Amino acid sequence: MTDNVLIKVQDLKKYYNGEDVKALDGISCEISKGEVIVVIGPSGSGKSTFLRSLNLLEIPTGGHIFFEGTDITDRKTDINVHRQKMGMVFQHFNLFPNMTVLKNMTIAPVKLLGADKAEAEKKARELLARVGLEDRADAYPSQLSGGQKQRVAIVRALCMSPDVMLFDEPTSALDPEMVGEVLDVMKELANEGMTMVVVTHEMGFAKEVGTRVLFMDEGKILEEGTPDKIFNNPENPRLKDFLSKVLI
Amino acid sequence: MPEFIREFIDKIKFIYLGDSRYLKLIEGFTNTLKITAGALVVGIIIGIVIAAVRSSYDKNKESLKLRGGIGYHILKVFNAICQLYLTVIRGTPVVVQLMISYFVIFAASDNGVMVGIFAFGLNSGAYVAEIFRAGIMSVDPGQFEAGRSLGFNYIKTMRYIIIPQMFKAVLPTLLNEFIALLKETSVAGYVGVMDLTKAGNIIAGRTFEYFVPLFTVALTYLVCVIVLTSLVSRLERRLRKSDR
Ligand SMILES: Nc1ncnc2c1ncn2[C@@H]1O[C@H](COP(=O)(O)OP(=O)(O)OP(=O)(O)O)[C@@H](O)[C@H]1O
Ligand SMILES: [Mg+2]
Repeated sequence: MTDNVLIKVQDLKKYYNGEDVKALDGISCEISKGEVIVVIGPSGSGKSTFLRSLNLLEIPTGGHIFFEGTDITDRKTDINVHRQKMGMVFQHFNLFPNMTVLKNMTIAPVKLLGADKAEAEKKARELLARVGLEDRADAYPSQLSGGQKQRVAIVRALCMSPDVMLFDEPTSALDPEMVGEVLDVMKELANEGMTMVVVTHEMGFAKEVGTRVLFMDEGKILEEGTPDKIFNNPENPRLKDFLSKVLI
Repeated sequence: MPEFIREFIDKIKFIYLGDSRYLKLIEGFTNTLKITAGALVVGIIIGIVIAAVRSSYDKNKESLKLRGGIGYHILKVFNAICQLYLTVIRGTPVVVQLMISYFVIFAASDNGVMVGIFAFGLNSGAYVAEIFRAGIMSVDPGQFEAGRSLGFNYIKTMRYIIIPQMFKAVLPTLLNEFIALLKETSVAGYVGVMDLTKAGNIIAGRTFEYFVPLFTVALTYLVCVIVLTSLVSRLERRLRKSDR
């Protein structure tokens, strides 16, 4: 394994109901530092399951995941330590409704990393400023729009200084006019060199910032490559079929 | 002043001031409050522990099974113990539990208030546990995942993320349990504890006057319940507002 590989996935499997549902049916791939991986595929193809396996929110039925050289699927690995380095952004934001924006962002660094509260708040405010929300630090999530919530969710994850950011359809729950503001934040993050794995239906985003696109169907990666290759020169018939449906 | 009112006041004076019998009433009321408050504290502690075990079993059994190891079996045993406790406590009358506590478990002690706190606390714990469990289940699972994805372990996710939200959701229900408990403790007299009801009963027995002492007792409970109930509805209104 070269030094540049951040995540290495080996023959990852996730079955439900015995072997009835093969949500992941042998996935292997390597993700290097600085890559922006975009995962696409039809509904039910296993995209979320794959992403959520990367930080073990789903426990795989088989296979291995190496993160920064450590096999996190090994039972002896303390996954909580590694999750601190893997930020995750959810479709439905999952902000803590009983905490202010600032508290949402500082609770993990303070409680988990032992960060000084004032320091953590300073960092949080800087991050908020970067996503244009410096004046909402004391607001509660219910007082924010969807786009604002998702931007807060992104910077909340960034407060832990993660080495990789995982996004599961971060714009799917948003009103169309708010999609752009969230994608802009993600683009900026990508330009700064953050390693990202993004499940999305935003093909524009995939083309513009993706360094590699994975096409999944029925729990397998059927084709992968640069956005140019995937979108302009698809080979797999199911990818062609999928693209003909999503690219109107 | 009409004759009958003066007679009534004289009667009350005789009932409560003769032999300083009002002191009994105060003692009884104090004991009722002590038992209720103590039992609620015991109930909440038991409730938290049971709810924690039961919901962590529900939430983690699949992943623990997949990851293998001893953890799953330990949790399974604890869960079974909790299940047994819930079944027994909810399946038997509280008076019987009180009598067993007093005459069997604490036969050597004659501290009735302490035994009352134990018995009613043990009883209330079963109900509080289910209130908490329902509260935990009412918190969006996404909250749990958000906590875990930030690196909080299971216990810390519960402590910092889930339990605070759960408490907010169950506070009104918990206060209602407190109200029910206050009235339930009126059976403490069965094992000779001088609670409010018992005090009224004793005064009635000594003076052969039933109307005044029993209505005093009833009124005291009623006032307490009305005060607590208005507290609950005010709280519910406040919580609803802060949710918006
Ligand atoms: N808890 C579960 N129990 C049983 N089957 C499940 C469970 N979770 C997911 N699945 C199944 O696994 C498969 C993959 O689901 P997954 O959510 O990963 O798909 P997806 O590609 O993210 O789809 P979408 O685009 O709709 O989000 C689906 O067939 C789904 O029904
Ligand atoms: Mg999905």
